[in-house]
Amino acid sequence: MKGYFAFLKKEFFEYTKTYKLFIMLMIFIIFGITNPLIAKLMPEIVGSLVTDGVVITLPEPTAYDAWAQFFKNATQMGLFVMVILFSGVLSSELSKGTLINLLTKGLSRTAVILSKYTCMVSVWTISISLCFGLTYGYTAYLFPQGETSNLLFSVFCLWLFGLFLLAALLFSATLTRSSYGGLLITGAVVVVCMVMNIIPDVHRYNPISLATDNMGLIMNSTEVSSLYSTIMISCLLSLIFVFLSVVIFRKKQL
Amino acid sequence: MDSAMLKEYLPFLIPLVIAQYALAITALVHVLRHPRYRFGNKVMWVLIVLFIQFIGPALYFAFGRGEE
Amino acid sequence: MGVLEIRQLYKSFGHHEVLKGLDMDVPEHSIFGFVGQNGAGKTTTMKIILGLLKPDSGSVTVCGEKVTYGESKANRHIGFLPDVPEFYGYMNPMEYLKLCGEIAGLSKTQIKSRSEELLELVGLKDQKKRISGFSRGMKQRLGIAQALLNEPKLLICDEPTSALDPIGRKEILDILLAAKGKTTIVFSTHILSDVERICDRIAVLHDGKLALCGTLSEIKERHRLHGFILEFENEEAASCFENTEELKQPSISLSRDGSTVKVFMKDGGMDGHFLLGVLSQKRIVPLKFAVMEPTLESLFMEVVR
Repeated sequence: MKGYFAFLKKEFFEYTKTYKLFIMLMIFIIFGITNPLIAKLMPEIVGSLVTDGVVITLPEPTAYDAWAQFFKNATQMGLFVMVILFSGVLSSELSKGTLINLLTKGLSRTAVILSKYTCMVSVWTISISLCFGLTYGYTAYLFPQGETSNLLFSVFCLWLFGLFLLAALLFSATLTRSSYGGLLITGAVVVVCMVMNIIPDVHRYNPISLATDNMGLIMNSTEVSSLYSTIMISCLLSLIFVFLSVVIFRKKQL
Repeated sequence: MDSAMLKEYLPFLIPLVIAQYALAITALVHVLRHPRYRFGNKVMWVLIVLFIQFIGPALYFAFGRGEE
Repeated sequence: MGVLEIRQLYKSFGHHEVLKGLDMDVPEHSIFGFVGQNGAGKTTTMKIILGLLKPDSGSVTVCGEKVTYGESKANRHIGFLPDVPEFYGYMNPMEYLKLCGEIAGLSKTQIKSRSEELLELVGLKDQKKRISGFSRGMKQRLGIAQALLNEPKLLICDEPTSALDPIGRKEILDILLAAKGKTTIVFSTHILSDVERICDRIAVLHDGKLALCGTLSEIKERHRLHGFILEFENEEAASCFENTEELKQPSISLSRDGSTVKVFMKDGGMDGHFLLGVLSQKRIVPLKFAVMEPTLESLFMEVVR
């Protein structure tokens, strides 16, 4: 337990000192601000592009457009940036051998894996909350009469998908020695999820629904209850990934 | 954009510009002050950091920065 | 009871057998030189002791506690200095030792006093710089400080001096000597002069087993060559001595190089008195008459060949 907290502190210190935390926060802050802004400006941008007499009439933007931007940016760009930033979570320590000293001091390998996961989850949670807060505030400012449903639940789903992705990343990192290998396996996991989504029956249980059904939830076209099984599965898979990471890492020759 | 609109969007633009520049400049300073990279060279990283928004600095800190 | 006991250790990588039944005992409060060629299996042995590698068979006991692979409880008795210690480059020495201390479960005040004491010992006391700017030697010294932090009963150093310049080497050896009273030190090396400088016991690892083991004086005694070097005034006197009838025996071999003659005697039956007798009988007075001491290098070459 002592090792867990000491190592967790070191992880936060590391993300601060290597600018990774800063980058994460900045990017999510920028997203938070741009989401409603792009939604608001979209008709103007499209209008200025069309010059040769073709008239495209776009409907007046609403709060939905702002949230559409939020879920698009956060899922595509945000998760992408996060996975890239965290891709060296284990490989950088393994290739340099920085863990050896600490492990021979009696730090348990379980504590290494768990504190690394805790730290990544915390950074993701802070980032997504910041992004959400900013988008929420600015959307209220730009679209005062916007009404959305299930907003918090929808963001919760996205957050949970982040947890699932990080667990997959951690698991991949224990399997390989290079950060690229970890990225590749994580990418493969996502691709598999996406391909599986083609089968309609799988959609209900596929973790990726957590990141694709968000707009449906907000517009009330998707039932909240339809995601319950997905949530269960995602939690279970995340737990399995973390558990396997611990098991594999404990048996790894360093 | 006319000045009225600019005024309306100022609460957005100011923090946005600050955040973007902070990101780019932090990365740029680091690129220039630590001229050893895992791959690529200084010119390449300066261009990436300055011209690929958001992702550029992230790529640099995740992959580009060498051992100090 | 030994601090470290290794019994019948086997380890192979693929088809390459590195350790073939290694037995080793390290008694308390010794500085134990673990010598071997590059690739002899020194690092492998150490990693097994630390539970970082899994042996094919055999057992390792540290302070009476059995080493298990993966999460080794025995590690709390051990301080380890890897051959090239790696640290988190963004920390300074104090921050790093604090992290180590917290992991080892020391209290805040303990960490502070131990860190200061150790940084003083290794000469990094007022170093506020980040570790990323450290030289090889400074990293090695910080490595010793972190290894000694939890007052280990056994300090294991993997080639602590190999990568250093002569000054850095001397510093490390001095630090190890200073730590001798408090802990048992096992250090691997292929630099024999380092071993002679500080070790009281040595073991030579060759072909997966210990080829030599014991205290330095014991080993030298055991491998005494019964050889003598005689230096004469001129070549004439030397050849006169060389051709003496009494020396023409199967158990004696002679070799002459200019005015110097080397005499080797095969069994312990004859000794220096015999040669002195021959000299006085022939009425030759040598310039120099010396017993050949086995050097560690010659011993090493002998067992490794």
